[in-house]
Amino acid sequence: MLRKTFLPAIFVLLAYGFAVSADFKTITAGIAIFLFGMLALEEGFKAFTAGGLEKILRASTNKLWKSMTFGIVTTSVMQSSSLVSVVTISFLSAGLLDLMSGVGIIFGANLGTTTGAWLVAGFGLKVNLAAYAMPMLVFGIILVFQPTKNLKGTGYVLAGLGFLFLGIQFMKDGFDSIGQTIDLAQYTMTGYPGVLAFAGIGVAATVIMQSSHATLILILAALASQQISYENALALAIGSNVGTTVTAIIGSFGSSIDGKRLAMAHLVFNIVTGLLAIGGIYQLMIAVEWLSRHVGIAADNYTLQLAVFHTLFNLLGVIVMLPLMRSLVKFLEKTIVADEIEIERPLYLSAGLEDIRDAALEAVRKESIRLYDLAAGVIMDGLSVSRDVLESEEKVKRVVKQSTDIIDEDIDDLYERKLKALYGAIVEYIVHSRGGYSGGRLNEELNAIRQAGQHVIEAVKGVKHLRKNLTRFMQSDDRFTMKEYNRLRRLIITVLREIDTARKSASESKSVLSLDHLKLEIEEKTRDFGKGLDDLIRKERIDVQTATSLMNDISYCRETCWDLVEAGTVLFSASGLDETVAMRSLALGEDEIAEMMESPDEEAAR
Amino acid sequence: MKAEKMLNKLKDILSAERQAQLEKYESLKKVLKALRVEKRRLQAELAAETDEDARHEIASRLKVISKQRKKGLTVLEELKSERDKRSH
Repeated sequence: MLRKTFLPAIFVLLAYGFAVSADFKTITAGIAIFLFGMLALEEGFKAFTAGGLEKILRASTNKLWKSMTFGIVTTSVMQSSSLVSVVTISFLSAGLLDLMSGVGIIFGANLGTTTGAWLVAGFGLKVNLAAYAMPMLVFGIILVFQPTKNLKGTGYVLAGLGFLFLGIQFMKDGFDSIGQTIDLAQYTMTGYPGVLAFAGIGVAATVIMQSSHATLILILAALASQQISYENALALAIGSNVGTTVTAIIGSFGSSIDGKRLAMAHLVFNIVTGLLAIGGIYQLMIAVEWLSRHVGIAADNYTLQLAVFHTLFNLLGVIVMLPLMRSLVKFLEKTIVADEIEIERPLYLSAGLEDIRDAALEAVRKESIRLYDLAAGVIMDGLSVSRDVLESEEKVKRVVKQSTDIIDEDIDDLYERKLKALYGAIVEYIVHSRGGYSGGRLNEELNAIRQAGQHVIEAVKGVKHLRKNLTRFMQSDDRFTMKEYNRLRRLIITVLREIDTARKSASESKSVLSLDHLKLEIEEKTRDFGKGLDDLIRKERIDVQTATSLMNDISYCRETCWDLVEAGTVLFSASGLDETVAMRSLALGEDEIAEMMESPDEEAAR
Repeated sequence: MKAEKMLNKLKDILSAERQAQLEKYESLKKVLKALRVEKRRLQAELAAETDEDARHEIASRLKVISKQRKKGLTVLEELKSERDKRSH
């Protein structure tokens, strides 16, 4: 409801403002251009975050002082604490950082962001920024159209800075002009009610603009043209500092639990800093005056004094919060906890069985077969074909052709919760089982089963990769490519079905060895897929990019099939242990299959 | 001297390693026999089959079994020669 009415209300207010005041139009256009500049700047920095920033991040955040310095430097360079906090949250979610380092960066970012006020107050308000903005925009936009990622990124950064400068100039011009007609200073409020009211406005303005930087520039521009009082400007700056945490909170919605904790740490830090600044605003003003006098800032240069105030209260926040940082992290870890994830637990691996060798082996085998069955289900979901197909007699070709709807399952989540967790439990159990005795056939068998489990996991990983493009092409009209993907789907399902057949007839010693026939089929089919692909490229039915994706996916399909067969060979050999080992020693490897493909049929069939 | 030689032979017969090798030999023989039966069954099936696709399928299965048997027979031969070496 609020969202539905908020945007139209803003539009109506803006339209009214445009109609009654040309200066309002200039100021809001300035804000819009400034924000667009921020977006371009973010886009530019994103181009560099994939490789370089990651490496720098790892090396420069292993100590608290390092992570704080990192926060200060990156925010000073990028001129956006929001961007730094959002990037930090994403790195934290990816496990590249721990929460402590993340909080350090956020503390540093709060100090780094104050450099913006210094730059604008000391430089931006005194010179014609538009003169610098224009060449930056021209060079920037030319670079944006370049094909290489780095040039494009540099282009966005330059264009972003250009738009930032242009936006500041517009805001400055707007306030200069507004000062000649209306006196906004008449709305000045004094005392604590004024501080609280203007701090509230500062929060609201930053939440709307999603940038404390934009709010601060607006405050500086208004202050420079004496549209607001110095005291109210300070309160606005405090408010903008608190409002900026909203971006990080929004950014943390899709992040991991540590990302959420970091966003909360950001909020706590900025609220504490804000409260300290509000509570001690008059004492801070005296400190600013004293400092300004000593560093040579004129008593009437309120914009620079605002920059001093901004730095001072953020520094105060860091000084107060730094000793409490460890406690804050502990508190957040205790209060913000992950929802209990339902993970797959072993059914057969009971404690105590580890010492009974044969029983332990049987338990591990049963659990691994369960892992295989769960994986087969996940693979079918990944291929967007109903799981029931594995049990049915229907022709695979027809079933696959008819399976045109994407099965909307989170494969990554299933992999993490069900398969990885279960495989982990199996490996742990095997390690404990082996603790009591060493060597011998039984150990070899346990190792083989462990390896089979690894093949199962790898098979699912292969399908996870394959699914990305499969899902894309299932939604497109590209029937030639889809036909190729259907062939890949068919092969994997055929392999799963054949393994199932061999499994059911596992009482005969021939059954598991018959899976070798599948290996030959996998090799022949994937070779044919490759040939078919050449043909499609030659006839220009698919473009080269699609062909590259398909080639990769053929490879994933082949590996998945091999992994399934290798796992099946171990898991479904039901004969006595000696016979199982003998049978497995006859199973053909990749080299032998390749050799067979070279030799003519008659010779081998003798 | 003769008694010592006989004792060594007895030790060899009773050793765990020899026992394991013997078991391996027997198991392999069993598997190879099962593969031979399967091979004959497939050969008969191939002779009776007229459908080209089915024939191709059976032929490649036969190809695989032949390769497996060839591999198995080599291992069996090695095991046998090792056993003979020990008994002399």
